[in-house]
Amino acid sequence: MDNISFRTTVLPLGDRLFRLALRITMNRAEAEDVVQDTLLKVWEQRSQWEQIDNLEAFAIATCRNRALDIAKRAGRNTKSLDEVETSHLTPLTSQPSLEAREQLSLVRRLMDDLPEVQRTIMLLRDIEGKTYQEIAEALGISETQVKVYLHRARTKIKKWIINI
Amino acid sequence: MDYKYIEQLLERYWECQTTREEETILRNFFRQEDVPASLLPYRQLFIEEDEMANEHLSEDFQNRMLRLVGEEAPIQVCKARRLTFMRRLRPLYRAAGLVAIMLTIGNAAYQSFSEEDAVAPQMAESVSADSLQHITIGSPEQQSASLTAQPTDTLDTFSR
Repeated sequence: MDNISFRTTVLPLGDRLFRLALRITMNRAEAEDVVQDTLLKVWEQRSQWEQIDNLEAFAIATCRNRALDIAKRAGRNTKSLDEVETSHLTPLTSQPSLEAREQLSLVRRLMDDLPEVQRTIMLLRDIEGKTYQEIAEALGISETQVKVYLHRARTKIKKWIINI
Repeated sequence: MDYKYIEQLLERYWECQTTREEETILRNFFRQEDVPASLLPYRQLFIEEDEMANEHLSEDFQNRMLRLVGEEAPIQVCKARRLTFMRRLRPLYRAAGLVAIMLTIGNAAYQSFSEEDAVAPQMAESVSADSLQHITIGSPEQQSASLTAQPTDTLDTFSR
């Protein structure tokens, strides 16, 4: 690889990795630390980039592993969506009021309470716009597994939305 | 308005059968304010995902990383262009060309005015000289004719 630089090749991955790390650690400062460690590791291994098929998938895998380590150390784990209390929620109105805004953050909390792998796949697909193949490559699982996890995540979200 | 297409897309979305393009259509639909009541409950999911997509690293993160890896932080963003020596002199050429054009035009104008000024007195002088000749002396032919004719008449008069 000619003409590589940290600024043009590695740094642009930062925001995407940050969103992933944030959804796992649930803490902005920790997520930034994870991204910093990840980007430095990717840069230090630049002599081996030619052996890596997909640099972004490699960076996502590295970032996810580091974020999971931090989350585990902090004792954070993912609960099942079924355990989340939703009885106090009311449907959104067309005009977003303060109450509606609170509900939006509740949707986020419910998404954050999905099992980590489902949450990560939902993020990579719905927010980062990745293909099933790219997600499978980054997480080291098959495309079929990706679809199964995504289906479970979406079904839970739909069930919650219908029940409120 | 018929929302059947959106409803079908949404059903396929839950079943993970939508393409990324179809998911973009859904996302754009739920961004608008006037969503029908039947679809309104799902709007919050797509809006929330939009907001999550706008989460970014802190402003100083980039400079901090660049310092860590020893690359200079971007002070000012500008595109550098390689300038050749000839290209650097281009403004000078333009100025010189402009001066040359001005001089040529000025010189041509000066010459044309000078010629007109020089020709006009000469013409006036020759015309006035001719006129004076006609008025005072007459033409040279007339002068010689008068000189030769007069003695002949006189001889003729005496011979008679």
